[in-house]
Amino acid sequence: MTRKREIRFIIIRSLVAICIALLVATLLIFISAGGDTFHEKLEATGEALRQMLIGPLFRMSKKKGTSFELKRLADILAAMIPTIFTGLSVCIMFSANQFNLGAEGGIMLGAFVSAMVAIYVPMPAGLHAVVAVLIGGAVVAILMLLPALLKTKLSVSEMVCSLMLNYIIMYVIKFLMNTYLADKSRGQIMSYPFRETSAIAPIVNNTTFSGAKLTWGFVVAIVAVILCGLFMYRSRWGYAIRMIGINQAFAGYSGMKVGSVIVLSQVLGGFLAGAGGGVEMLGRYTSFSWSALPGYGWTGITIAILASNNPYMVPLAAFFMAYLSKGCDLMATYAKVPAQLIDIIQGVIFLFFAAEQFLAKYRQKLVVKSAEEEIARLNLNKEG
Amino acid sequence: MLNFLKMLATPEFFYSIIRISAPILFATLAAVVVEKAGFANIGLEGLMMFAALSGSLVSYYAGSWFWGFLAALATGVIMSLVMGFFAFKLKTDIILVGIAVNMMGSGGTLFLCKVITNLTEGKAMASTTGLITRSLCIPDITIPLLNQIPFLGRVLSGHNLLTYLAFLFCLLTSLMLYKTPLGLNIRAVGENPDAAASVGVSVMKIRYTAMAFSGLMSGFGGAFMSMAYAQGWSLDMVSGRGFIALAAQAMGGGECLGGMLSALVFGFAQALGIKFSAIGLDSNLASPIPYAVTILGLVIFALVRSSRIRKQHSAAALAKGKAKAES
Repeated sequence: MTRKREIRFIIIRSLVAICIALLVATLLIFISAGGDTFHEKLEATGEALRQMLIGPLFRMSKKKGTSFELKRLADILAAMIPTIFTGLSVCIMFSANQFNLGAEGGIMLGAFVSAMVAIYVPMPAGLHAVVAVLIGGAVVAILMLLPALLKTKLSVSEMVCSLMLNYIIMYVIKFLMNTYLADKSRGQIMSYPFRETSAIAPIVNNTTFSGAKLTWGFVVAIVAVILCGLFMYRSRWGYAIRMIGINQAFAGYSGMKVGSVIVLSQVLGGFLAGAGGGVEMLGRYTSFSWSALPGYGWTGITIAILASNNPYMVPLAAFFMAYLSKGCDLMATYAKVPAQLIDIIQGVIFLFFAAEQFLAKYRQKLVVKSAEEEIARLNLNKEG
Repeated sequence: MLNFLKMLATPEFFYSIIRISAPILFATLAAVVVEKAGFANIGLEGLMMFAALSGSLVSYYAGSWFWGFLAALATGVIMSLVMGFFAFKLKTDIILVGIAVNMMGSGGTLFLCKVITNLTEGKAMASTTGLITRSLCIPDITIPLLNQIPFLGRVLSGHNLLTYLAFLFCLLTSLMLYKTPLGLNIRAVGENPDAAASVGVSVMKIRYTAMAFSGLMSGFGGAFMSMAYAQGWSLDMVSGRGFIALAAQAMGGGECLGGMLSALVFGFAQALGIKFSAIGLDSNLASPIPYAVTILGLVIFALVRSSRIRKQHSAAALAKGKAKAES
């Protein structure tokens, strides 16, 4: 198949998957929409869909019409920061065919550790955030040694192990917060405020961007994307990770150190998740108050699947998910459709993207067409 | 310490172990059968969430626990068949199918609950606990004669109908796997699908059957969670039991009986956690105990297995050496 056709197929396939998901969403919105008659319901559905699909970037009002709003774009870009990190983390872990689901707990632990560094360790401004984020990442990287080593040494399922770790991380953090670290002077359970030196500054210092919390963290996330891309496609280790993911036995026979590469992939994944937690925490909040797993890890898995484990595609997938999630929030606010619709849409898109045989017949047709053209061209050459 | 042990040696404690183990046991049986058929269904968690929701909603709207119970089973089976369609027909990695179902099982069930009941407690939470009354739950059963026995009676009698079914199903599943043609086919497909196909077994049919069985068991497990363990459905109420079951399957060596024992171990860990928090341990420290025990259990199981394999290897090598020396 020619490269052009290949790309066309991928685009069409993605669009069809997204359309199916939106169709399911429309159906669900229709069921949940208010209104007594069919017509009213239809109208409500239309309104909800408009909020979901156009709302994330455009403000809609009856008087002024639809207008683009920079603040909303900044919101979406800011929302991408944690999920780019978890997406990259999952990309690298899944590339080695390791279904480690620890990004969820990892980002919470990273955020927590970074927050602690930001509160209790005095450091000069500028350096503080960097050190806090790095320590957050390092702690999670070390923690990920556990499922990785158990998998390579004892073939314990890394999936079950990492899932259990997520729960343990959540409860231990809750315990530490409740008993030792909470600022008792506040109404709810939250830590003492971070030192001002640790804050990650907004990219542009005006109300639009600082209000949206679009910080330098976004730039860091993009840099991480490029580094991960270079690592996966331009380095020996990245190559080994991908080869092990494709065929572990073959990689082993050809002399790669399968065990250590698998460990490396998960430690790196852990570091990215943890660092992402730190960047999100120091960029968006002024004190630690998470009391449950944030869900960024699961979104990260969807993003990795949408990006088919290609780090360069992660920002695009993250943008898409952030857009949808923002759309669902707006829909919940203005059209009274519960925001958790995002989970169903996410699941459906996820399923169709991961389905290898989805639209396989169409692909087959394209392959046949390419082959026929090739033969025709060869014949032409022969005759000519 | 002694006091604490005395607290554990009560019939109520053993009763609670059995009660807590039941949903894990259902899910473990599901995991055992699909594993025998040669794949893994990690979507048990999500399946149980959906089954739990549909069970409690249908029992509320139909006004009878029986219909809710059936709805939970049907939900489990239908969803697992859809999962099977994606995995076998569209060739999605079965692990990813499971992850997708788990994702939907968390927020998606909340969405459905809000939409169907029009309930919103506060801003984000909604549950059906306010709708369900005791009579809409699956009833407890007192076993005559057995309940007369002093200690044992209070441990074994008075459980929920589903608790007894869980242990009964453990036996039945084991019989199904080893004494029926279906079980033989499932194991054959799991061992070597090509060989099974060559003697005329429809591999797809067997895989779908195994998948449906796991859905059925998740249906039982889900129904237990929302209609027996708790009164009504609430967000993330299954809280990892589907995942713990995967570990129980591995620790039980992939067999029903072993799985049951592991499920009881996890039940014990959880019951212990509850007791710990009863004597004043922070609940946030008691809650992770079953999860930590799961990891620990997996590690111990793996160590035992690897040392057994090593022993077998060295025994085989010795036998080989001996045979060589004799010849």
